[in-house]
Amino acid sequence: MNTSNFGLEPLRGKASAPAKTFILPDKCVSKHFGCAWGQGNKFTIYPRSQTVNKSTPKALDNRLFNVRQDVLLFTPILRKLVNESNGTFLSLQKAAEASKTNDNQVEFLKLSRQFRSIIRVCTEGLQEAASKEEDGLAKNSLQSYITIFYSIECIWHLCEILFIDNIPGDIVLPYLLEWVRFHFPCHEQTAAGLLEACERGSEENAEYWDTVVGMVVQGRVDVARALLKLHSAGESNEFKLVDNSLRSMPVYSVYGGISTGEFTISWKHWQAECRSKLSSRVLASQPNLELIMRIIIGDYTAFESIRSKYSSWFDILGGWVLFTAPWSRRHELGAAAAACAGMAPAPRSHLDDMVRALLEGDLHQVIHEVQQISDNGWFATHLTDILYHCGKLKVLDKHQTNVTSRLRDSLILEYGSLLMEHKSLWSVGLSYLASCPPEGPRRAELLLERMPVETEAKAMRVIAEAKKHGLTSVVSSVSRCVCARAQAGGRLGGALCWAARALVAGAARAARACLTQYAARAALPAQDLLLTAGSAMLLSDTLLFLGKYCDFHRLYKSREFKKAGQLLVSLITSKIAPDYFWETLLLDTLPLLESDEPVFTSNDTYEIMLCLELRSSSLEGEKADLMRLALARNLARTSLAEGDGTDEGGQ
Amino acid sequence: MPLDVQGTFVSQKINKIRWIAEDYVETKCFFTGSWDDDVNSVKVWTLESPHEEEEIEYPRQLSEYPVEGDVTQIKFTEKNKIAVSLSNGDVKVLEVSVYDKQSPLREIFHWKKMHNYGEQKCSCTSLDTLEGDIATIGEDGNVHILSGRRGEIMRTISGADSCSLHSICFIKHSEVITGNLRGHMKIWDLRSTENKPAASFLLAGDELAATCIINHPTQPHIVLAGSESGSLAVWDLRMNTFPTSLVNAHTAGVSEMQFHPENPHMLLTCSVSGELWDWNMEAMTKSSKDQNNQVTWMPLEDKKSMMVNSVIPPLSKAINTLHCDKGRILCGADNEAIYLVKNFKY
Repeated sequence: MNTSNFGLEPLRGKASAPAKTFILPDKCVSKHFGCAWGQGNKFTIYPRSQTVNKSTPKALDNRLFNVRQDVLLFTPILRKLVNESNGTFLSLQKAAEASKTNDNQVEFLKLSRQFRSIIRVCTEGLQEAASKEEDGLAKNSLQSYITIFYSIECIWHLCEILFIDNIPGDIVLPYLLEWVRFHFPCHEQTAAGLLEACERGSEENAEYWDTVVGMVVQGRVDVARALLKLHSAGESNEFKLVDNSLRSMPVYSVYGGISTGEFTISWKHWQAECRSKLSSRVLASQPNLELIMRIIIGDYTAFESIRSKYSSWFDILGGWVLFTAPWSRRHELGAAAAACAGMAPAPRSHLDDMVRALLEGDLHQVIHEVQQISDNGWFATHLTDILYHCGKLKVLDKHQTNVTSRLRDSLILEYGSLLMEHKSLWSVGLSYLASCPPEGPRRAELLLERMPVETEAKAMRVIAEAKKHGLTSVVSSVSRCVCARAQAGGRLGGALCWAARALVAGAARAARACLTQYAARAALPAQDLLLTAGSAMLLSDTLLFLGKYCDFHRLYKSREFKKAGQLLVSLITSKIAPDYFWETLLLDTLPLLESDEPVFTSNDTYEIMLCLELRSSSLEGEKADLMRLALARNLARTSLAEGDGTDEGGQ
Repeated sequence: MPLDVQGTFVSQKINKIRWIAEDYVETKCFFTGSWDDDVNSVKVWTLESPHEEEEIEYPRQLSEYPVEGDVTQIKFTEKNKIAVSLSNGDVKVLEVSVYDKQSPLREIFHWKKMHNYGEQKCSCTSLDTLEGDIATIGEDGNVHILSGRRGEIMRTISGADSCSLHSICFIKHSEVITGNLRGHMKIWDLRSTENKPAASFLLAGDELAATCIINHPTQPHIVLAGSESGSLAVWDLRMNTFPTSLVNAHTAGVSEMQFHPENPHMLLTCSVSGELWDWNMEAMTKSSKDQNNQVTWMPLEDKKSMMVNSVIPPLSKAINTLHCDKGRILCGADNEAIYLVKNFKY
């Protein structure tokens, strides 16, 4: 079979079009070709001639094309992410199970942080790989992976703040500022450098004012004040005025002992004071200080004017909330997001949409957007799952029915099935599928049955995993499959052994094969197995018969003719022997009939005679005559001996 | 110091892991063999601290040797040579340079299709080594004794078993013990020319595979076998046929066992259920002679007081392999990770 892998170039065009077109290389297939689905997202294209009577066209080389989806998660670096996150996912399922009885928010937060650290480790791994990579194309794709996982972490963090973390008093501002500082660290290095140098006249640095403003916008008022002191005019009245205003800014804390109402009053008072300072025009000579004052009174135009200095509106979001409504609760951020996003007519990026949807609290939209990220559903699956378990996810369909659990299940099933495609990651995929009954285990059964099992070690592992998740049908179907393969290869011992594991009719088939092989070749296969087999022998009549027959051979070989004879007679009289084996069975009596010491009693002989006559068709004429003769002679001598009055006569 | 467990994800399911012994210094490097991947390989790793001052050591890959099929077993024939069995039926002897571990592994011998069904592929399921000799077994039920020094086949027991063999262990130079898919154990005398076992017995009544066999380092007549069901059996070969003890241990198959090289009373086991345990085997392997000069074993009721500890919290996937060197244990698992346990008390 000639198969080849090739890169498929998607046709660029309407990105939103649901169908993508791919061009096959060269003219490899003629007009007529067929297509067959393989396992998972794979199919094969093959040429198929529909004109039967014509000779095949000459220029066509009959090639097969395996077309498969290129799965990002199967690259070695990202396999680490897949495996590590699987561990956390499973702990999350356990925590969710436990939270049915007691509240487990802290545990969820811990696991969410764990997920974020996994993403971070993964990004670092990608960064390291990208720095080492020499090939431009590979480097580019690594860079794009970094962008993907970078935005994933950013969104996850915000999600954690807004929906998973248990924020005291719901006052989200400190967390939001932290998020901005963490993901959009602007001017941080310059600020640190300036503070370390600690020289007066730092305004010489071209970025001085941007840095000061940046620190104010990030809510790092202390840093901004320290920087202002480094200005050569830091001792002037104007600077002192601004410093004073920054210093006296009220900061809300849930544990501060004042109510939100009280805080709001003092905050408004402070801002009014700042506003009056500004309108008194004392700062007119220092436009930069004036800008800072305008920012801290929450002046929209001031924010608008600095927006162009930042690459995105996320940078100023923290500042905007800080200086307009520091008492904002989690669900009150939508307006702030809209205000910040509207400051500059920047093209909306995907990240924008996700953050907007998050701040508006529209989780359905968030998940919809997250699904557009090309990470093969890793993020959507894990995020939805954790939000679902935290009880924060409520998705209603157009009929207003709650479809949250269906959404979560469908994402997990999709992700699990995807992983099942991979040769090594199948066990990870299985644990996802197993976590959403009843649909998941059913899918797992179908997928596991179709998985290639090349060695017994793999078969045993598949069986162990299936047992763990209670998929009994897989246990027997895999065993049956290995059994059938062993039998096809003529390895009857292996076939018997696997048949016993499958606990089904396969045993009868394998046993039959053993008997026919013996009847044909006169060597009983797998004796070591049959002689030590235990309860497995009871699986089928044929197998039981085979075991007993094997035991007969053992007794015969060890010259225990009496016992062997008894066993043989019981095998004959029980009539469980298959038709094709009667000849062998009857002929086996011959040497015992002819032995020096009589082995069979007269009753036994009658039984054998009866069977011989009933089954006369199974023996040829000559052999049957020989048998009859031997039986008659044995009957004669046993009758005589029994007639002597020995104990046997009475039986 | 407290026990320290540290996992590293390596993007391949690890089937075998082995420390590379060092003279006079602490071991730093180890081999891994992977399985169940598109391309499997034998890799050499070293432990490194990325930042000088930090205590944490991370494994870093030094070299990679791709193989066909799964790596089913790795055992040392000499200090720097390993015998590797593969699921395509091949057996290889590979050498790692003593001075430069970063240089690629060198192939010394390669027995192609050592185990086969004629033309068809057949897995070489395991091997054991003893002073340069290699005993290999396969799904075809054959046993081969190879010389790891001269590269020749010294003896073949064909049809040693009618079903597939899954574990083997050298008892002494002239004797090996094999375990098959049904837990049927056979002892083979390599000096005899007959293809008949010197003794045979069953592991347990459940007819499940014997997944690993080892013998006691100081009392060679004591043999231990792990079963696919997770139980552990101990035999005294001076009175075989029945295990002296059969303990239900792990919830799924025992994948590998090792007696601690420094403390023969300590046994380490790992399992398909993701557990890594240490056992105090002193009571289980100790026999005494009673007044009639009969060997007696630990009474049954004492087994309850056996000392078994879980070394690491159970994983969600199978632990396939372990190797212990002094206070440090390496594990390889099906979640594509390597675990290093440090400060283990023995």
